[in-house]
Amino acid sequence: MRVVKSVQSKVCVDGSLMKEYMLDEPLTPAFLLFLRLFGTVREYPHMKRPYFSFEQEYFISIKGFSGDTSVEVRYKKEFADLTADYFYLLLYYYREGGTAKMQEIVSSIREKMKTRLPAPERPVH
Amino acid sequence: MAEHREAGELPLIYLNNAATSWPKPPEVLTEVARCLQTPFFERGRSTTAGATDYPSAARDALADLLHAEEPGHFIFTGSATDSLNLLIHGFVKKEKAPFHAITTELEHNSVLRPLHTLEGEGRLSLSMVPFQDGYVTLHEIKKAIRPETRLVVMTHGSNVLGSLQNVRPVAEYCASNEIFLIVDGAQTAGQIPINLSEIPAGAFVFTGHKALFGLPGIGGFYLQDPETVASTRQGGTGTDSHTPAHPQDMPQKFEAGTPNYPGIASLLAGIRFIEHQGQDAITNKCRSLAALFTSELKKSPEIILYTPAPDLPVISFNIGGLDNDEAGYILANAYNIVTRTGLHCAPLVHDRIDGGKGCVRVSFSHFTTPTECRTAAEAVREVAEGAGR
Repeated sequence: MRVVKSVQSKVCVDGSLMKEYMLDEPLTPAFLLFLRLFGTVREYPHMKRPYFSFEQEYFISIKGFSGDTSVEVRYKKEFADLTADYFYLLLYYYREGGTAKMQEIVSSIREKMKTRLPAPERPVH
Repeated sequence: MAEHREAGELPLIYLNNAATSWPKPPEVLTEVARCLQTPFFERGRSTTAGATDYPSAARDALADLLHAEEPGHFIFTGSATDSLNLLIHGFVKKEKAPFHAITTELEHNSVLRPLHTLEGEGRLSLSMVPFQDGYVTLHEIKKAIRPETRLVVMTHGSNVLGSLQNVRPVAEYCASNEIFLIVDGAQTAGQIPINLSEIPAGAFVFTGHKALFGLPGIGGFYLQDPETVASTRQGGTGTDSHTPAHPQDMPQKFEAGTPNYPGIASLLAGIRFIEHQGQDAITNKCRSLAALFTSELKKSPEIILYTPAPDLPVISFNIGGLDNDEAGYILANAYNIVTRTGLHCAPLVHDRIDGGKGCVRVSFSHFTTPTECRTAAEAVREVAEGAGR
C-alpha cells in the first residue's frame, strides 16, 4: 500500500495538522490489525460505511473507512516534525513486513519526544 | 443486493449555512455578473451612464430591511469580524482609556479576541457575563456594571446554541447609562425580522455572506451616532481630496479605499431576494426545519443535543462514543452531508456545554428542503446507532 498523493491539508482546532491521503489500494482489515500493534484502533462495522479510527498518543491519528482508498491523518502539533514521515513508514513496513523495525522507529521517536514533555506526561513504554 | 453508492455520488446536503450560506439565490449570481460587466459607478468620479450606484442602493435596501432611520449610517466592511474590530478599536481610540467593558460567554472570537487584545494592552478591563440555558439576561449584565463601564459587546444570536438574545432591554439600559452597546448580528441579519428603530444599540454589526445571501468579503455595521467611534482607517474617499485630514462625514468617515462593488452588489441582490420571499416566510421556514430536525434527533438517546429548541436554525450536538470531528467526517464521507465541527470560534460556549471539546453543528437556510432535513436527521441517527453497537 502506497500513498498516491496528498489531497489536502488544514490546521485543526487544536493546532494539529490534518492531511488527506489517496492510496493506491483499499485499506484492508489486515492493515488495521497491523495498526493495532502501535496504538488503539476503534472499528465501527455497523456504520453505513465501516468506519475506523487509529490513535497513537503523541504520534498521529487516522480516520477512514475500511475498503476505502483515502484516509485522513492528523499530526499532533507538538511533535509534527518528528512524525512527519510516520504514516509513510507505517505503510512501508506493513508492505515489507518489518514490524520489528517499525517498533524500533517508534522507540526512537519516543526517546526524542521525552526530552520535550514535562516529566508527568512522558510516554511510558 | 443494493448497489453501494459512494458519498460523492449522493446528492450534496449543505448544512453549514451559519458559516456561509449556500446556494446563493440565482438573482445574486446574476447581479454580481451584471456588476462586473460594466464599469463601476464611483462616487465623485466620472462614470458611465446607467451604471448602478451599488453602495447607495445597498444602504437604502439595508435601511428598509432593518428599519434603520439613516441609510448613510450603514458602513461597508469586509466582514462582521472586520466591523467588530473597527468598532471596538475605534471606540477605544475615542474613549478615555482605561475603562471597563463587558461581554458574554456566548461570543465569537471576533468579539473576544479584539477585547482580550485591548485588555492585554491595558486599554480596558473586561468582565465576562455567563449565559443560562443559552441566554444572557439584562440582570446578569447589570451585575457586571461598574461606574467606569463604557462598553458592552454582545451577540444577537449564538452561532453555537441558536439562541436569540433579547437585546432591546440591554440596549435601552445602555442608552440611558451612556454605555456604548455593540450588537453582533452576524447570525440574525436576514434570518429574522429586525427593527433597529426599536433597538437603541450604539452599533449593529452584520455580515453579507450568511443569511443575507451575499458573497464572502462583504459585511458592515449600522452606527447610531458617528461621534461615538473614531475612524481607524484613513485614505481615499473620492471626496475632499485636497484635505490631508480624513473626511468625517458619513459614510466616508469609516470607508477608505475602493469599495467591494461585487460584494455590495451581491448584498443588494440578497436583500431584494429576502424582501421578495418575505422575511417572515424565511424565518418561519427555517424555524420549522430546525424543529423537524431536533424532534428527530431527540428520538436517539445516543445524541447529546445542546439546542433542544433553538430560536435560529442552528443546532449543535454530539454523538456518544464519537468525537465531533469523527461524526462530521462520517457524515461528509458516507452521506455527503456538510456540517461544521469543532469550536465554531466560540470557545467559551464549549467550556460550558461540552467540556471545551467542541460539537457538530448543522445550520439551515431558506434553500434547505424538508427532505434534506429529514435525510440528514436520519443520517445522524444512523451514525449514532452505529457508534453505539
